This record gives sequence, C-alpha cells and structure tokens, in this order.
Amino acid sequence: MRELLRRIHYLLHRRRFDDELAEEMAFHRDMAEQCGGVPLDDALRLREESRDVWGFMWLDRLGQDLRYAFRSMRTSPGFTAASVLVLAIGIGATVAAFSSFNMVALRPLAVRDPETILRFQRHAPNRSGSEVPYPAVAFYREHTRTLSAVLAQTASRLSVEGVERPPSTFFVTANFFDELGARPRHGSLFGVGDDRPDAPPAVVLGHGFWASHFGSDPSVVGTSVRLNGKAVTIIGVVAREFSGLGGDDPAFWALLDHHGYFVHGSQLLTDFSSVVTMWGRLSPGASPQMAADELTTLAAELRRQHPRDVWDGERLLGEPGGYAQLVGATSMFALVGALVLLILAVACGNLGSLLLARGASRQREMALRSAIGAGPGRLIRQLFTESLVLALMGCVGGLALGSLVLKGIMVWTEAPPWLDPTPDWRVVTFAIAIGFLSSVLFGLAPALQIARQRQKITVGRTLLIGVQVASSCVLLIVAGLLARAAERAASTDPGFDYEHVIVLEPSLSEHGYTASRAREYIQDLSVRLRGIAGVEDLSVTSTPPLGGLTITASLQLDGRPLDVYIHQVDPQYLTTMKIPLLRGRNLVDGDDRGVVVSESLARRKWPDRDPLGALFKIGDEALTVVGIAGNARSLAIRDPEAVELYRLAREADLTGLAMVARTAGPTDAMASAFSAAANRVDPNFRPQVQLLKDQFHQSVGDSERGAIAVSLLGVIALAVACLGVVGLVAYSVAQRTKEIGIRLALGADSRHILRSLCSQFGGTIIGGLVVGVLGAAGLAQLLRRELYGLSTIDPIAYISAIVLFLFAVGLAALWPARRALRVDPLVALRCD
Amino acid sequence: MQKNEMPSGALVLLILRVLRSGPLHGYAIGQRIHTLSSDALRVEEGSLYPALQKILLKGWVTAAWGTSETSRKVRFYKLTRNGMKQLEVEASQYNRQTKAIRAILRTA
Repeated sequence: MRELLRRIHYLLHRRRFDDELAEEMAFHRDMAEQCGGVPLDDALRLREESRDVWGFMWLDRLGQDLRYAFRSMRTSPGFTAASVLVLAIGIGATVAAFSSFNMVALRPLAVRDPETILRFQRHAPNRSGSEVPYPAVAFYREHTRTLSAVLAQTASRLSVEGVERPPSTFFVTANFFDELGARPRHGSLFGVGDDRPDAPPAVVLGHGFWASHFGSDPSVVGTSVRLNGKAVTIIGVVAREFSGLGGDDPAFWALLDHHGYFVHGSQLLTDFSSVVTMWGRLSPGASPQMAADELTTLAAELRRQHPRDVWDGERLLGEPGGYAQLVGATSMFALVGALVLLILAVACGNLGSLLLARGASRQREMALRSAIGAGPGRLIRQLFTESLVLALMGCVGGLALGSLVLKGIMVWTEAPPWLDPTPDWRVVTFAIAIGFLSSVLFGLAPALQIARQRQKITVGRTLLIGVQVASSCVLLIVAGLLARAAERAASTDPGFDYEHVIVLEPSLSEHGYTASRAREYIQDLSVRLRGIAGVEDLSVTSTPPLGGLTITASLQLDGRPLDVYIHQVDPQYLTTMKIPLLRGRNLVDGDDRGVVVSESLARRKWPDRDPLGALFKIGDEALTVVGIAGNARSLAIRDPEAVELYRLAREADLTGLAMVARTAGPTDAMASAFSAAANRVDPNFRPQVQLLKDQFHQSVGDSERGAIAVSLLGVIALAVACLGVVGLVAYSVAQRTKEIGIRLALGADSRHILRSLCSQFGGTIIGGLVVGVLGAAGLAQLLRRELYGLSTIDPIAYISAIVLFLFAVGLAALWPARRALRVDPLVALRCD
Repeated sequence: MQKNEMPSGALVLLILRVLRSGPLHGYAIGQRIHTLSSDALRVEEGSLYPALQKILLKGWVTAAWGTSETSRKVRFYKLTRNGMKQLEVEASQYNRQTKAIRAILRTA
C-alpha cells in the first residue's frame, strides 16, 4: 500500500525525480572518470532503465501513442472522417438494436418501485392460469400480510360515440394509480375511497386517446362521455410517462367496482369464472417466496369455502411484475441482433482493409521506427492505440446515430410514449464494449501485419474483404427473402374472400351473456342483418378471420408436430367466406360428429388414401371427415402451409361467437348500419365492427414494414461494402501506377489492364459470396420460425440479391480502375 | 566485466549491508562493495541505480541531498528501520541458502 503511494508520488513529481536521478548519475560518472574508470554505457538509456523501476512507463508510452495517433489523424482528415463514419454506422445499428431491447426488456416499467411488484398466476398440478378470479383477489387482499397492496386489472372494449372501433378500457382497483405513483396530466386520478358503493362512476383518460380523440384539450376534464351508452364523468387525464403494468395505453381507465355499471350483466366482481390480472406490492422485509407461500396457504383456505372454484393444490406464484412481458419476442430480438451484428462485421471488415491499405503506405515510416529501435510489440501497440482512438470516436458517433435511429423507429412504429429512448449506463457500456471489440476486429490484424512489415499483406486483406462480401450478401439475401414473403402475402390468394366481408364481434361473454341469451342475441341479430340491403350471406365463427384469436389442435405426423387451426362455425361459413368445397358434403345442422378438412390437411394426414369417411381425433372426440374444402389461411395469413378444419360450434362456444357477413358491393359504407342493427338488439353496448379487407391490408403491411427495415439494413451494408471495394481498388491502382504506365507504354490493351486489376479480387469476392449464400440459407431457417410465408429456397430472392451485389461491387471497382487507364505513361514512369 | 557482475538479489542485500554503517551516496556504495570484496565484485551503474530506485520505492532507504567529499551536491542514502529488518531477513535467508548449497557441494 505504502509502496503504491510512493509510486504515485513518483508519478506526480516525476520530472523532479528524473532531474535528480540525472544529476546523481552525472556525479557517479565524474567520480568514475577521476578514478580512471572506463566510460560507461549510454547515460540516457541507463536513466530510463532506472526510471522504469517506478513503474509508470506505460503511462508515458500511452501518452506518446495517443499524441501520435491524434497527430496522424489530423494529417489525414478524409481517412479519419470516412472510418469514423463507417464505424459509427456499424456501432450505431448495434446500439439501436440493443437500446430497444434494453428499453423494452431490461428497464423496468415507468412506475414507482417496480422491483417490489409481483405478478401472481395460478398453478395447480395439472392446470394453470395467468389470471385470478376477482373474488379470490379480494380475499387475498383482505388477509395478506406479506403484501402491502394488491392490484388488479382487466381490459374490456367499450363503445364510445363517434369512434368506429370500440377502444380499450382498463378496469383497475382504486389503489392502482396511488400505488404505482402515477400523476395526472390534468384533473385527478382515482384514489382509495373512489370505490365506495355510493361514489359516482368516473373515468380517467389515457394520454394517447386524449391526444388523438380530444385534441389534447384540457377542458374535457369535468365533462361527460357515454361508454357503452352509460354517461360518466371524465375526472382527469393520466400523465404521458405512466406506463401502467400491462404495457398498453388504454383509451379509458375505470374502476373495477364500476364494471357492472358499464357492462350490463357483469358478474366480474362476484363470479369465479371471470378473471383479472393480479399484482401485489411486497411489504417491507417480505420476500417473493414468503408472499407466494402465504397466498398458497390462503388459497387452500379459500378452497374450503369454494371447493369448486379454487383448484386442488392451487399455488400462487409471483414473478417480477414491474417489467414488460416479452412473450415470444426474444427470438425476434435475437434475429435483429444477428442482422445488426452483420452490419457491424461489414463495418469492421471495411475499416480493417482501409487500415491495411493505409498501413502499406506507411511501410517506410514503420521501417524507420524499427530501425531506430522500436520492437514489434511497441509498433503493434502504437498502431492499436490509433485503432482504439478511432473506435472511441466511432463509439460516440454510434451512440448519437443509434439513439437517433431508435427515436425514428419509435415514431415510425408508434411506440408507447412512456418508453424512454435516451441511452442509460447499460447502453453506454454496451457501446464502449462493442467499440473495443470492433477495434480488436478491425485493428489488430492490420497492426500485426504492418508491424511485421510483410511486403505482401494479401491474407489479411482477402479475409477482410471476404467478411464484408459475405456479411452484406447475407443481409441482402435475407432482405430479398423478406420482401418476397411480403409480396407473396400481399399478392397470393389467401383462399377466402376478404374484399366483401364484414366481421362483427359482440364479445357476448364480456357483457355477461349466458349461452341461451347469446343464442337469442345471435338469432335476433341475424334477422336484422339479413334485412340490410346488400347482405348476401351470414355466418358465425368462434375465431373471426384475421382476428388474432386462434384455436389449434396439435397432431403428431411422422414424429413431427403439426398445428391444425380449428374453425368452430355454422354450415353457412364456407359459402360466406367463399371457401370452395372440393369434395364430399358440407356440414349440416346437428352434424356434431362431422368435420370438413382443408385440402392441405387431407394431403398431409392421409397422403395415400381417401380422407372422406376417415376418423379424425381431437382430444377425446372422434370426428368423421365428411368433406374437403379449399385451403384458406384466414387464421394464419403468412403461413402458406397452414392446415385447417371446420366443425360446428357447440353450446359452450355461443358466448364467444363473432358474425361474418358477405355483401354484394363494397363494404365501406355498411359498417355503421351493422353497428346500429346490433345496438338495437342490445342497446347496452355496440360491438366491434370491422371490414375484413382493412385487417388484411394491415397484416400484410406488417410484413412489408419488416421487409423494408431489413432491406434498409441490406442497402447500408452494401453501400459500406462498396465503399470498401472502391478504396481497395483505388489503392491497388495507386500502388501499381508504375506497372500500369509501363504496360500502357508497351501498348497494352486497356481491357487487359482492367481485367488484371479486377481479377486480383475476383476469387475473394466469389468466396465471400459462397459463404454469404450459405449463411443466408442458415439464417433463413431461423427466420422461418418467426415469419411464415418465407421460403428458404427462393431462387429469385437469392439470384436478385447476388446480381444486385455483383452489379454494385462491379461499379465500385470500375470507378477507381478507370483512373488507371488515364495514367500517362511518362508521368507514371517518372514517379517514384 | 561479465564475471564480476552479481545476481540482482544479492545486490540489494549488499547495498543494505554497506548502508548499515551510515549514509552513503551512490558512487560510494559501489566503491565500498568493490573494496570490501577485495576488488572481486564490481557494481555497474546500470544495475546499481535501478536497484536503488527499487529499494527507495520499497521504503528500505531514504534519500537526502548532501555534499560529497569533493564538495559536490549528491544524494545520500540512509537505511530506514524497515530496511534494517529487511537486511536481517535477507541476510539470514542468504546464509541458509549458501549453507544448503555448500552442503550439497560437499557431499554430492
């Protein structure tokens, strides 16, 4: 410890100590000479060796290297700017991807003390549920000691006058806003006490809806709106920064206690069959395990009172609730990560070859340095320091570029307003780590080669160009595949009519309907809808087309699982959706054991026999195949290999049915008539009415956006790679000016010269292309799991990407190569 | 010259030992070692000064400016209490080692 202090003391006063040492050694020398001693070694070197003992030589050298690095950057500003730009693009793409992951997954939600919030789910030995019945929540809230607060929320769609599609309303407990530290933008929020039975119903506006629907007008506070036809006062607008716990920004916030006021016949507060999402705030000193244990004990107690509603052996497990739920998004992030790393690889490869080319022109300098005593280690260190400085500058540029890109993406994708794109320490650390990693990638190989003063630096250069070619090739091909998939999704026939179909979702179960009342509702509504001019066919289904809700059965076919999409419909469904019946007969009323399978399912399941009359098992039920219908990807629009079956909807499905109607003419003008008709059947609510073509274009648009984003990455990679090729060929031309001059003077054909210039890199580029194609094929396999409709062997995508690549690279090579042809032989011969 | 050089570990021991009798400057340390060894050991400038810097850092000696016998300003090195302890440790260690080496040379 003392020794370290002394060392630091030496460091701080090293100029003085250095002088003292010099003086002392001069004295020694004089004395030795007086006594007739031999003249000793070089004084400066001896002094440096003594000084080395103090242990801070590296700092001196670092300072030296840094000074030198900055000086050499100043002398070639073009090179510096180009390399910082290339690096900033590479690092920026990576940083943008990481910050979005950080923002969504690593950072907690924008609520107070997110660490102590747990989300509780039900688990029993043979079943589990992500949500909890409200009566159980109330029981736990009353008896818990390990939780200081219990929160609950459930979402509904309530109709609002003048809004086509019913916006979402979150029903929450009265403590929700207080407990999460939410602040109002205007007016006030709910507080404890607002849930008294005599309190008048009130709603709070979500910030987004307030902005889009009320034009951010603060005076709406205190006014009244009608939700599901029920008048209610707006008491406030929640602040923009508040995330809630569900990650979504609803149009309205209301109290769970008022659910019955808005939703006619609601049993939410008393019925064990409807559920809400439950969170708890840990009491000080309680651990998540203690809370889970206590709630499990309470559940057992509740089971004694309600043996049918609480499961046998039910446990409540708490998991971190203060973070956004990322179900299924992880692999998407992994994919994006892989793509941006490719950009980084291109950038590093590019910069590496730039450095190599520059290093070759610094050969003389390196030779001089080693002649005056710099060892290879010292040279490598100096060159690497230069790369580090570049990387640091690239880091800063990348951080700026990355957050800019992220902000752009957030605007483009309409990200929720509480997501904060400003880089935090994680992002900055990540950027620095990536910068260091890339400086190793692009700087070390050239430094090694230059310092060793190899005359031929072809191996490193070949490798670096190959990396660029391969990576940008992968990006281009993947972009091509995605674009083709999007195009196919938009252009190919989905197998059903979407232009003339209107979907009406009454969500009867949310409005407290029983099966028998639902049957009456559907019959009544059907009569009214048929009365509307232009309605041709009408049907019901439990899974509305393109609605996002799917019911599947998993089959084992040749040892591989196959998901079958199940449509629970009535006999008119196929005609309404214009799905052709290819063979056999349609379903008829009362045909509970019959099933119509899609042609694709028939081919997969019974490849070598007649499927008609065959048995098809779903769970314990055995159904008989009565007909074969055309393929219709109404539940999996992007999956060309989707298989589906149709069976009759049963009693239990009635409250969840949606209605589909086919019209003779365009659907646009008819939605309001549908909505009005439904409102006359039950004036308490207005169902969601959608034009199927809108949903179709929206889901196709999603894949188009993905393709555009990846194409953009591909183009950036291509541009960077082309830049690298330009630089490389230009360098090669500059190096061979003399040779070209001689050849021209001897009468060489300009085509020969071009060919000899380009053939130098031909092999590398072809090799990189091959690796790139293989890499793209591998990545496409991964992509396929995420994006249906992506063909892994799509020759057009591959060929067009390769042609585009060769074309761009060819242009990039020819541009500097042309300069070679303008070489004046006399000038060329005269130059060094 | 080569054969008069000594291992660096021994040099530290010798420097500490010659300083026990009082402060000396660098040149005098070298001379003292040279004379006491009956001209057998010669301490080169290139090993003396790095060794002195090391001992200074360790805190075994302190340096103070004084005037030499030729009336020139020069640094005198003085043994500290820690240096004294270190000298004892190193001396006993050296004795143990040489004894062991001698035993091997005798019997082997």
